[in-house]
Amino acid sequence: MQPLVILFLITLLPLFGWSEDDQPIQVNLAGEPYVYTEWETFTTELTNGALINDHIFFVKTDGDRVWIGTEEGLVLYEKGKWKSWTMEDGLPWKVIVGIAISPKTGDVWLALFGGGLARFSAGRFDHFHQLNSGLVNDVVYAVTIEGDNVWAATTAGTSCFNTVTGEWAIYTEKNAPMEEIWCYNVDAADGKVYVAAWGGGILEWDVETKIWKDYRDPDKEMEIDLYRDDGLIHIITTSASYVDKILWASTYFGMSRYDGRHWRGYMDHDSGLPSSFINFLRGRSGTSCYACTDKGLGVLIDFESDTWVRYNRDTEDAKTWTAHVMVGNQIIKSLPTNLNLPNHFLICVDFQGDDVWFGTGHGLARGMGNGYWNGLKEIKSAHNAGE
Amino acid sequence: MKRGCFLFLGMGIFVCFFSGVSAEERNDSVKVDSSEIYGDTPPEYLPFGRFTKPYKTFFLEPLEYTGYGRHIPEPEHVDTVRIGFIGPIMKTVSVAIGGPSHEEPLGVKMLQGARMAIEEANARGGYRGKTPYELMVHNDNGLWGASGSEIIDMAYKENVWAILGTIDGSNSHIAIRVALKIEIPMMNTGDTDPTFIETNIPWVFRNITDDRQMCYLLADFAFKKIGLRRVAALRAGNRYGRMSIDEFRDGATRLGYPFVTELQYKVGDTDFIPQLQRIQALKADGVITYGNAYESALILKQMREMGMDQWFLGSDRMVTQEFLDIVGENPGKVAAGYPYDPHSEDPLYLQFCNDFHDRFGEEPETYAIHAYEGMKMIIEAIEKAGLNRALIRDVLAEMTAQPYHSVTGEKIFDAVFTSRTPALLAILEKGKFNFYRYNEIFDENLSWGG
Repeated sequence: MQPLVILFLITLLPLFGWSEDDQPIQVNLAGEPYVYTEWETFTTELTNGALINDHIFFVKTDGDRVWIGTEEGLVLYEKGKWKSWTMEDGLPWKVIVGIAISPKTGDVWLALFGGGLARFSAGRFDHFHQLNSGLVNDVVYAVTIEGDNVWAATTAGTSCFNTVTGEWAIYTEKNAPMEEIWCYNVDAADGKVYVAAWGGGILEWDVETKIWKDYRDPDKEMEIDLYRDDGLIHIITTSASYVDKILWASTYFGMSRYDGRHWRGYMDHDSGLPSSFINFLRGRSGTSCYACTDKGLGVLIDFESDTWVRYNRDTEDAKTWTAHVMVGNQIIKSLPTNLNLPNHFLICVDFQGDDVWFGTGHGLARGMGNGYWNGLKEIKSAHNAGE
Repeated sequence: MKRGCFLFLGMGIFVCFFSGVSAEERNDSVKVDSSEIYGDTPPEYLPFGRFTKPYKTFFLEPLEYTGYGRHIPEPEHVDTVRIGFIGPIMKTVSVAIGGPSHEEPLGVKMLQGARMAIEEANARGGYRGKTPYELMVHNDNGLWGASGSEIIDMAYKENVWAILGTIDGSNSHIAIRVALKIEIPMMNTGDTDPTFIETNIPWVFRNITDDRQMCYLLADFAFKKIGLRRVAALRAGNRYGRMSIDEFRDGATRLGYPFVTELQYKVGDTDFIPQLQRIQALKADGVITYGNAYESALILKQMREMGMDQWFLGSDRMVTQEFLDIVGENPGKVAAGYPYDPHSEDPLYLQFCNDFHDRFGEEPETYAIHAYEGMKMIIEAIEKAGLNRALIRDVLAEMTAQPYHSVTGEKIFDAVFTSRTPALLAILEKGKFNFYRYNEIFDENLSWGG
């Protein structure tokens, strides 16, 4: 080796250290996150059949009401009381995978998986499908409300129904930048509508200008993520959530956050996500997001400090779930919870005031937010932080 | 780890700086461990392989299903054990495939193969010797994403335990997204789109070698064996043409020989002279197409009539009698990827060919044989797992964890449950296709000019 090279290497040693191991750098909490330790769980068995089915596809809160979409019908939980509707009650199709409530009318809109769209109003179900409306496909994955419009994400494009004029608009590859038309989720807020298109990334609709914009994985390769923060993690997107002018997007390969200028990517190996396989997410604020993964709930509590709380069962036979407080991918401390749902394949999540609700492949859970606080709270003692 | 990387980077910069090596001269690939390579991709074809290692490579770990389905008890009684089938078996006009349907001949063959496997299982007594299997047949008409509704009908109304299908890439994608939500195993035996299984869905299996494998072999042959340098593409404008040529296009670019042009045609077109004139003007030394046998054959025929004698490369869909009948007696130099060896002398394969001929009075082909094989895998999984969709999925995942010997030979699957069995190259010689393995193509004693 050239003497000059050796000299250069020696000069590098103080900068980078000389470590044979891959020990992570010790990190501390920037503040105390709120941890849900007290939970209520609901299954068909625990509710004596009031929860008519355990396969929970969607949960939507509306004041005191919690609407639940299951594989067998619609369920309402309100102040401890249950009510349900099945096909015998006029529900057009039993499998409900999306729910939206119109703030103007109170109508409940249902995404029926293979059955089109239903409006539940004044005790009556109105059915919209491919043969009687402008709905582009009967396999509807999600529904959301934007002003007077009802947006439906379907397996063959997105439909928009104006409830005042009765007009329908259809968006496919013909009139929107959809590389693929397989729409999986839709969310609307602050003058924007976001569509998560499986194989098509995230599409943004500007309500005022009526112009689409698309966000895709910049490396354009299915099998890799070239750089962590170069854009959307993957083009196979599963949901979008827009809150505080921040876009949160989930994929089966990780989660992305976009502030209009910068992207941040999260996967299970570099964050508090229990898994990169994310079925759904919902932003609680511009700095906090709840991700439903196939191995539990991953909550980014504080974007700036990369503080997470991960809820999952630590082992297959664990009776209850554990909450892990994390910074990045490092567990700082673990807290027991009383959450005892048998499966941590999470499908949906929503917030009810300080509480959080989520649905799984077998049961529903409610985290009781007694004394809840947003973000991080000042740590009172060094002992807590270091544990 | 990061410290090590920084140190390595610093050394690299320093050594390059003082050794006076220019950027242009440092064009060797970034070293990547074989365990970090997906899809048996040759290092020279890795995306960005000359520049950097990706932050994350997906599809290296076996897919898991972590849901609740395994706990669902087996029903006490069923009259028949139903298995779903979805494939293009009736003529239609499809948005997804860009015009009139053209896949019925393939879909009908697929149905024959699937049906034969069911009949054989029932001849043995059916499910665990007691209950007959029943095939629930659905047409994949491709209209406005109808394949999704068909899967829902099969899963919720007909209560099938697993589904086999389909061929069209778009319809297959729609079907597996629905299968994921419902949680039902799907075996694909006819869609060679590489992206089909690149979705992390743990319910999807594919037993046919895909266009990723076929394109790598075709690219190796085109650029390394016969030395092409200026390849032009003329492909179908539908999703099949767009997606299936991808790995060949990327491979060409990564080797330093990007397409001189990439032109499209509409499915059903019969006149390709305008596109071929442009290709001729660009002095291409090879033409590649991705489309069906009919259009591929017409392109080749018109090329030769125009005096274009370049190599003509294409997909497995042109390795058919229909193609040979159209191109006539002087097809010139033709090669295509192929997913299995139709000249195999494996006793299982020979037995299948005899049985198929006895049953249908026809010869089997790609779609029939893979559907037969895929349906046999489903039946084997049901026999082992019982009537539980999640457990059937688990058994299929176990079956693909090691080489699986079936009628097309030894199948090798990867972590995302798709066949990575090496492709073969079909070369048209003296009026018929001969099939070559990789080592045969690069045998020094064999030459195809170039």
